[in-house]
Amino acid sequence: MEALAAIERDAELMLRVRAGDETSFAVLLDRHRAPVVHFLYRMVQNDAVSEELAQEVFLRVYRSRATYEPTAKFTTWLFRIATHLALNWIRDGKKEKGQESLTDAVEGAERQVPDRQPTVEQELLYEVKLREVREAIGMLPEKQRAAVMMHKYEELEYSRIAKVLNCSESAVKSLLFRAYETLRARLAHMA
Amino acid sequence: MDCLKNAGSGAETLLDYCSGALEPARAVELERHIENCPQCFRAVEAQREVWEALGRWKAPVVSADFNARLYARIALENEAPAWRRWLRRLAQPAVPYALWKPAAFAAACAVIAVGFLAQMPADRHAPAPQTRMETDHVDIEQVANALEELDLLMPATPSTPASANPM
Repeated sequence: MEALAAIERDAELMLRVRAGDETSFAVLLDRHRAPVVHFLYRMVQNDAVSEELAQEVFLRVYRSRATYEPTAKFTTWLFRIATHLALNWIRDGKKEKGQESLTDAVEGAERQVPDRQPTVEQELLYEVKLREVREAIGMLPEKQRAAVMMHKYEELEYSRIAKVLNCSESAVKSLLFRAYETLRARLAHMA
Repeated sequence: MDCLKNAGSGAETLLDYCSGALEPARAVELERHIENCPQCFRAVEAQREVWEALGRWKAPVVSADFNARLYARIALENEAPAWRRWLRRLAQPAVPYALWKPAAFAAACAVIAVGFLAQMPADRHAPAPQTRMETDHVDIEQVANALEELDLLMPATPSTPASANPM
């Protein structure tokens, strides 16, 4: 019920934005900024690029306010824009040009993790494991990667991932099964 | 419960179980099953490990000036002339246009048109001039013959009574 209310609230806010209410846009931005940036970060594996793409996502939402119709869930629409931009960026080969060093990225992620003081050895082990996870995900085909990101980190249902990726629900399940199978094989040694 | 490897929806059950999305009753059923099925136990363990490994990857905190940068871009965009904003909306839609649908429709129409033209008889497209001339010739002959036959069939006219009745 809470989720349904939130979804309806998003659509309502967007309709208000359409009517010219700038405050509603600020509310939408605050609600969805972090999930969009995090999704894009895991897709492109680059801190600066993910924020740049997230800005573009919200800019496009703002630009489309006049023509917005609540036919689909707002977050589905939002992730569709984000996925489209991320896949375009990956396909354009900007990955090679703009990728920050792996060490920097790991350090960026590490900043949030320690809730107790780890030893140097534990820290090194964590970095190695994290690098393996990132590499394993990075090696997945684009659509599989997007499906896993939405399933694992955004906790979207199969039907919503299908709408974002513009394919059938069974195609999404197939993408996910193959992706997790690949990841199980690649990360098996980490157990 | 069937083995995860055998059942058609086994892979889905496995993912749902490890992500915590499986209905509680089915989760209990699966847990009972894996106690006695080493193959399914290994599959669940492997998926759980992947799930946990992915969970280690935390995304960085969003920059504090994210909103400020976005609003600056929006302000810049609002200052642009209306035609440029319109052009930008057209060139950079929120979600990509589904161009393949009209393209597929046009391609299908083209294939049908080509097939239809190929099926049509050739003489309907380009009439042979010689055949036409022959047709014209035959028509004239037919008309002449018809006139002759008409003459023969004509009854004797009253202007020639002498020849008709010499008595």
